[in-house]
Amino acid sequence: MTASYPATEAATIVRRNAPQAVVAEGDTLEVRAEYVATAAQALRDDERSDLVFLANLTAIDRRDHFEMVYHLQSLDRNQILTLRARLDDRDAPSLPSLVHVFKGAHLQEREVFDLFGIRFEGHPDLRRMFLWEGFPGYPLRKDFLRMPGPVTAGLPGFPHEAGGNAWPVPGSVPERPRHPNDPGAAGAPEASAPDGAPEENSDDANGSDDSAEGETE
Amino acid sequence: MTTEQLGSVGEAGSEPVVVNLGPQHPSTHGVFRLKVTLDGEIVQDADMLIGYLHRSMEKLAEERTYTQNIPFTDRIDYLAAMSNNLAYCLAAEKLMDIEVPPRGQAIRVLFAELQRIASHAMANGTFINDCGAWHTPLFHMFRDRERVLDLFEMTCGARLTTNYMRIGGVAFDLPPELLPALRDFLDDLPQRIQEYEDLLLENEILHARSRGIGVVSADSAINASLSGPVLRATGVPWDLRKADPYCGYDQLDFEIPIGENGDCFDRFLVRMGEVKQSLRILNQIVDNIPGGPWLADLPLHVRPPEGEAYARVESPRGELGFYLVSDGGPAPYRFHCRPPSLINLTNLREMTVGGTLADAIVTLGSIDIVVGEIDR
Repeated sequence: MTASYPATEAATIVRRNAPQAVVAEGDTLEVRAEYVATAAQALRDDERSDLVFLANLTAIDRRDHFEMVYHLQSLDRNQILTLRARLDDRDAPSLPSLVHVFKGAHLQEREVFDLFGIRFEGHPDLRRMFLWEGFPGYPLRKDFLRMPGPVTAGLPGFPHEAGGNAWPVPGSVPERPRHPNDPGAAGAPEASAPDGAPEENSDDANGSDDSAEGETE
Repeated sequence: MTTEQLGSVGEAGSEPVVVNLGPQHPSTHGVFRLKVTLDGEIVQDADMLIGYLHRSMEKLAEERTYTQNIPFTDRIDYLAAMSNNLAYCLAAEKLMDIEVPPRGQAIRVLFAELQRIASHAMANGTFINDCGAWHTPLFHMFRDRERVLDLFEMTCGARLTTNYMRIGGVAFDLPPELLPALRDFLDDLPQRIQEYEDLLLENEILHARSRGIGVVSADSAINASLSGPVLRATGVPWDLRKADPYCGYDQLDFEIPIGENGDCFDRFLVRMGEVKQSLRILNQIVDNIPGGPWLADLPLHVRPPEGEAYARVESPRGELGFYLVSDGGPAPYRFHCRPPSLINLTNLREMTVGGTLADAIVTLGSIDIVVGEIDR
């Protein structure tokens, strides 16, 4: 099994190269964004950590800031470490590129640039990858194509939950004109059964109506 | 045109020509565009332009529940849907700390290995196709793939986009007719593999076209995060089924085939070796599938606790990882797929520049890309 590399050990290695770099060490190691390449290089070159393989690189939009996540893997020692960096500047997020440490970051950083708009300083070929140059906005940001009203990205609740997933949120979409026969519309004929009544009850009601008719005949 | 005129063109010197391979081209195996700059036959520069199949699955997945996202993973890598289902379900299970019953795990291994045989049949067939053996080996190998897809159809009703795995196990139990059909297939496969080896391994044209072409060194492969057969062909025995076992792979007996030179021929050999190892794994589990439930007792709609999980499997193409972040809601807050096809292309320029255009096509074929996974 791949063990997780202790973040405290990783922090001592990073501190030796950049004393101010470490922000937090818990299950994962968080470094200041400007030191991320220095930290990755220190962890790659130190024999005790030996994190030579960049397994995964991605970003998360936390609504008020961005978070970069790197999964670094040691092949000989079979250990994995999650390295993070926080980017507070939402308007022009940028941090050093890892391409000169791990070439495997090349395409993954281009993908993050394309979909999140995070710039990687020192990347040799930072272009949009899936979308074309001039595409408006960055789709994986949570505020991309914001809906009118209080609707936010994501799924607030399951459809069957009371109030969980009321989409559209009342008031967020203009009221559409309704057909006069539409139940609930102004001037519509009285609805036969109240909304939300179980079907069995309405069947029973019909049955009793029939019997009543039979009696009158 | 006379010979004098042809001679005068050469004397005047040549200038680089830009050729677009794709987006619609038989050698690119999908909607993939490779822009090469040629000096005569020699590739001076290669640049890939992708995104023709981008469906923004990572965004779509943020608005669907964890169970609703499973069919998306089929469409990420449509030649290895079972492996993708498995990787996603493992990530969701890691997030929620769910244990899969033993029967579910055995069925998962069974279908993951069948999928590897089907995917490698496709990969090797199209690779030989790119080397110039026009479609004959491809259709020989398709016979095996067809039988695997028949087994999939028997079990879950679908051949390509299977949607078979569920969070906590698999969707249905094995049908009674599956195991006899699977045993038949496993009995026939060694003879088929022997047939391919007789046909191909000593083939002079294959050697001439693929040996010493598209070479990657082990250090360069590790630094560029290459994985799967591309990494193992350089001699690095890194296989997640051994290194980070899941679904009980640690109790199975198999080897990791590796190459020596890291060229196209070694990648082909590694894939042939992996088919044999998959056969070995399948023979071990086909008679030892434990009884009991195949799906953990879970509600259909799950709401994982806040947290994150990165789980990976050894897909036919390499390290396929899913990174899920939960904010406690019914849908993933962030859904990220680590695509081996895309990352294995990191070294494409180094592998092709300086060789001929025909070699570049063979190199691209030997990496075994799936464009659905590159673009997502």
